Amino acid sequence: MPLPAKAFQHWLHDVAPATSTADICRTSGIKRTTLAQQLVRGKVAETTLVSISRALQRSPLQELASFENYAELAGNTRPPTPAELVSQIATMDLLRAVIDRSDSAPGGPGADVPAAATPELSPAPHATSVRNWVDAIDDGELRHRVSAATGVAPQNYSAQLTANRLSPELAVATAREAGVGFTGGLVAAGLITEAEAGWPPGARQRALDGLSDGELAALAGERLQTLGKVLRRQEHEQAQTEKIWENLG
Amino acid sequence: MIAILQWTTLAVCGIVALARIPSAVRGHNRSLFFLFLLMTLATLLSIAAPYEAADHVLGGTNLANLVLRFLIFACVFILGFRVARGFGAKDALRLITGPVGLAVLGFSSLAVVIVFLMMDTAGSSAGLAEVAGKDARNAALVEFYGAAGRLYPAYVTLALLPAMVRTLASRLPAHVRFSAGLLAVGSIAITLSLLSPVIPPALGFLRFIFNYTAILCLVLGLALIWLGSIMARGTARQKTAPVKISRHNHSQNH
Repeated sequence: MPLPAKAFQHWLHDVAPATSTADICRTSGIKRTTLAQQLVRGKVAETTLVSISRALQRSPLQELASFENYAELAGNTRPPTPAELVSQIATMDLLRAVIDRSDSAPGGPGADVPAAATPELSPAPHATSVRNWVDAIDDGELRHRVSAATGVAPQNYSAQLTANRLSPELAVATAREAGVGFTGGLVAAGLITEAEAGWPPGARQRALDGLSDGELAALAGERLQTLGKVLRRQEHEQAQTEKIWENLG
Repeated sequence: MIAILQWTTLAVCGIVALARIPSAVRGHNRSLFFLFLLMTLATLLSIAAPYEAADHVLGGTNLANLVLRFLIFACVFILGFRVARGFGAKDALRLITGPVGLAVLGFSSLAVVIVFLMMDTAGSSAGLAEVAGKDARNAALVEFYGAAGRLYPAYVTLALLPAMVRTLASRLPAHVRFSAGLLAVGSIAITLSLLSPVIPPALGFLRFIFNYTAILCLVLGLALIWLGSIMARGTARQKTAPVKISRHNHSQNH
């Protein structure tokens, strides 16, 4: 549900009354043709609004909430759950945390060595952000409820998750059906950053530190297994392609 | 219109065959070069003017048409074999190189030769149109001859079709799937050409469309796979590391 062009133009006039469209495009890094095309079609992408809000030093989340179809974003400012925060930590960062904990454990290989400064978590979103987020809030029936509520076919929803894409509309609908705050999905989808979502700095790190060793190991194991499957499928496809080339190239 | 289709097909086949000469000289997948060469010759012999010229040399008894049939059989065999092997289609490979496939090939070859000998084939005529016009017996024989000649190509391409459809639905690179799609269209077109005897004369142009669409799709599909492999080899030299796990960083940390 992209933004209606008319409402968007009203908004643009409100937030930047004296700025020309050309200047808006230049400062926000949007191609003029892209914006013009979206206006002609009557549907402006949420990413356009976010880019312009950033260029105008405004909060993308608040500006998005000023539109009728995203009004509920303003009403629900629930912070993300720890599970959601952990879901936005990249698999490699989780594995690093496993190694760091075992190194500094009593009797571990690095127990006597002062722990090296743990590198900062890489910023969200990561390569499997969307699926991990949905998995973190899924009670088992969530996907069906989202499909039923939005009319998006389950296989199309699933395809978005696999491609690590999630339209803002579906992100909001998923959060609504799961009963969690709206920012988690928008961050996982890469529409806004953690800071723009109002997540306190270090929130993900604290959620990670809050996991017990067992929870962390199990979670990292699940992620690693999924990664293994994906890599093996890619390798298999690569081998198939190379066989085709070898015989027919 | 039909002439444009015919000569375009000939040109495409000829260009691809020429383009494969360098790799054939290096000894790389020579059978593909022969496949394209045979396809070019077959297309040439299927066009009236070159056919009549070639048949004149062979004695004016439409022997060129028999040669054409066997050129097509050879093309189809090489094509089926290479494609089935490349696409890892064990089912198709068994159907083509197994006893059933060889039996269909033997039967088609024998039938083509016997029916050819039974016909009064004097007088060069592309598509044996004049032979068919001689009398009812020859007309019927020409139909049998055509059916026997189309049997083996249809058998092989039908054997390949499931593997092509599987590839089309897979997650292989887009150009491989597109090629598989072209090969599938070619297979279907060849199979449709089996219907030639029941196509009413008013829709006779359909025969040409099926035949040449089939050749064009098969040649373009194969050429596209070839191009894809060349391009992949070019980019593989620039970056070889897998994207997901960077092994280089890992080794540097130790």
